[in-house]
Amino acid sequence: MMDRKSKIKTAGLVLVILLAIAGGMKVGSFLPVIGAHETPANIYLSNYYIENAMEHTHAANIVTAVLADYRGFDTLFETCVLFLSGVGTLMILFSKAKVKDKTLLKKQQEEPAEPGEKILREETVGSYGGSILDAAFRIIMPIVMVYAIYVLFHGELSLGGGFQAGALLACAYLIDRIVPSFESRMGEIKEENMLIVAGIGTFLYAFTGILPMFFGGNFLEYGKLPFGRLVQGGAAGLHAAGILMIEIGVTVCVMAVIMTILEVVLERTDFDDD
Amino acid sequence: MPVLLLEGLLLVALISIAVSIIFEKNLLACTIIYCGFSFGAMLLYIIVGAADVAFTEAVIGTISTVYFVIAIKSINRRCK
Repeated sequence: MMDRKSKIKTAGLVLVILLAIAGGMKVGSFLPVIGAHETPANIYLSNYYIENAMEHTHAANIVTAVLADYRGFDTLFETCVLFLSGVGTLMILFSKAKVKDKTLLKKQQEEPAEPGEKILREETVGSYGGSILDAAFRIIMPIVMVYAIYVLFHGELSLGGGFQAGALLACAYLIDRIVPSFESRMGEIKEENMLIVAGIGTFLYAFTGILPMFFGGNFLEYGKLPFGRLVQGGAAGLHAAGILMIEIGVTVCVMAVIMTILEVVLERTDFDDD
Repeated sequence: MPVLLLEGLLLVALISIAVSIIFEKNLLACTIIYCGFSFGAMLLYIIVGAADVAFTEAVIGTISTVYFVIAIKSINRRCK
């Protein structure tokens, strides 16, 4: 039975939710219908993109043209924000004691422990699930990874792109970590090193932006990239190459940041200091 | 018209899922319900024609659910 105080609390909560829903509906009635032709966004900007995107960017897909070209700065700083979130997580949750524990464990494995010293044991992950999970892992893993690579390289033409490909690659690693097995199939990955990889990904994006500036172009002007001889199709080919470069940068950054956060939080899980 | 009906149903479902998360006492159940919310949002994105966003939502919904489960495991508190 609920006492009177918690009853009042619940009633208040319900009231607040109902008010919020009512307010949302009221605001919603002022908003334009989705895809309405007479809204400012659809009168000026959309038409400009539809008419000029092919000519300006040579991209096969207007969404790609907007994301990687017209809003290239936006995507660049999104990647930076993601990298900074990884740095922040590592700074807050990283525990030095665990590392010390690990080196002590290695030392004890090499030489027998002295009497009176605390004996450390490698924590074994629970092996419930067993063979079914293992077989599912073997089937799912390659599909996820191949699909991620497809999403990365085909992102210019169809759904997806750097963020999704990175998240899918990280998903593959995540499956490896959460499916219980006797040893990690991908090996130990240190979160500090993963963060460096994330920084390299972010740098690749910024570098693709800076590179045309040495050859008479503007920041992120793919048409002035210096590999005219390596790609076919002139300006269109250069655009495709530039977009692929920034997509790879974004992919690497997203994948590494997700893996960093996962590793840091997992380390924290089996380390009880608080 | 049927598309609009489906959209309305999904919106009602999303609101009720979101409200039910508040009143759920079990934290693990909250996480799984949140996963369902993510799935509903993904369907909604597909209906309004944003397949790209729907794809992202599907992937991120999976990853964030795993994060939440790990976090609940680490705080050692299953219920409110």
